[in-house]
Amino acid sequence: MMPYYKFDYFGVDFGLVIAFIIGIGFGFALERGGFGNARILAAQFYFYNMRVLKVMFSAIVTAMLGLFYFSWAGWLDLSLVYNGNTYILPQVLGGFILGIGFVIGGYCPGTSVVSTSTGRTDGMVYLLGIFFGIFVFGEVFPLIENFYSSTDMGKVTLPEFLGLSHGMVVFLVVVLALGAFAAAEWAERILAKKNGRGVE
Amino acid sequence: MIEWMNKLSISKKLAGIAFLLGVIALIIGDSSNSNAIYVNAKEMALSTIKNNEKIEASVLADWLIEGKYDYTLVDLRNEEEFSEYNIPSSYNIPVESILTSDLMRNQKILLYGNDDVASAQAWFILKSSNYKAVYILKGGLSAWKNEILFPKLDVSATPEQTAAFEKIKQVSLYFGGTPQSVSGGTATSLSTQPNAALALPKLTVPTGKIGSRTKKKKEGC
Repeated sequence: MMPYYKFDYFGVDFGLVIAFIIGIGFGFALERGGFGNARILAAQFYFYNMRVLKVMFSAIVTAMLGLFYFSWAGWLDLSLVYNGNTYILPQVLGGFILGIGFVIGGYCPGTSVVSTSTGRTDGMVYLLGIFFGIFVFGEVFPLIENFYSSTDMGKVTLPEFLGLSHGMVVFLVVVLALGAFAAAEWAERILAKKNGRGVE
Repeated sequence: MIEWMNKLSISKKLAGIAFLLGVIALIIGDSSNSNAIYVNAKEMALSTIKNNEKIEASVLADWLIEGKYDYTLVDLRNEEEFSEYNIPSSYNIPVESILTSDLMRNQKILLYGNDDVASAQAWFILKSSNYKAVYILKGGLSAWKNEILFPKLDVSATPEQTAAFEKIKQVSLYFGGTPQSVSGGTATSLSTQPNAALALPKLTVPTGKIGSRTKKKKEGC
């Protein structure tokens, strides 16, 4: 039964090997999705290239359906899949900072590594910035530690929070994703005409 | 119909599949009932008979002295009793919160309560929730007290018994216990301070608690 690590099918060492393989696969998928290019990523925020939304929603729907049906088939114990606590204020602020960085730099942490690996200079600079940020965060951590672990809501999942069944949430997310795909295609056509900018 | 389906682009086909799976998920409702447990009764009965999931107090004492810590020692009593005395290196997780604790499925877990009752209950809960390696300290804390903290040597003991007791005595002193010799029902302390009262050793190390850890776990992205 999955998750294999928690059921002790292998130890930490082999877990790292698997993490490496999955990481390479993840990076490859990001690069093939065009996420190694800051222009495509930043375009999402101006709504003239909706590729980020499409790729992300595809990933979410695929993973969600996989987890749901694996759990239903009894292959996976969902209660053991790591699910971090929700710290509402620190996470809102953190998301805000990440979003600003995303729109300015054109990358999120994962895609900056992808663009670095394909030799893009802006990605490399971005990566240096990440390490600098980590260093600063580590140095000021004692000062912000209280805020960091404040407004702890514990483990919150959508079915619990909304009081819906798991399947209902899965259905709603699928509908939301398909609606977003349709809206994205439509918006791209409209804005491409208006701005005279081609869809990549 | 087939012709119509062939005309659709791949992304439209995928969208259709996703929608179909979403509708089926809606019908299924909940993918698993997390409170339901699945018990392999035969396996459990076998391990109860074989008794190989019980650890003697003396074995645990040896492990602690050797510094063998490949297991997590869990104290199932309440917080008050725990803060009064606990076996070194133990964590306090009362039985009722054993499932919500941070114990991992692949961890080696050694349980103890005042006697065997609480640990047997916790053992069953954990085993039925797929915890792999759950052990019980045989006799619980009372056995630990009798065998390790306050071991008794009968005055009429044979020389072999006395020799064997010498080791037990050292172990007992290591854990701050009071070995005694017994003659006709009255016990005399054998420790360095004569006539010292039979007191539980003072706790010198701050006690660990898994349940109320506030630190974030280092997992996830």
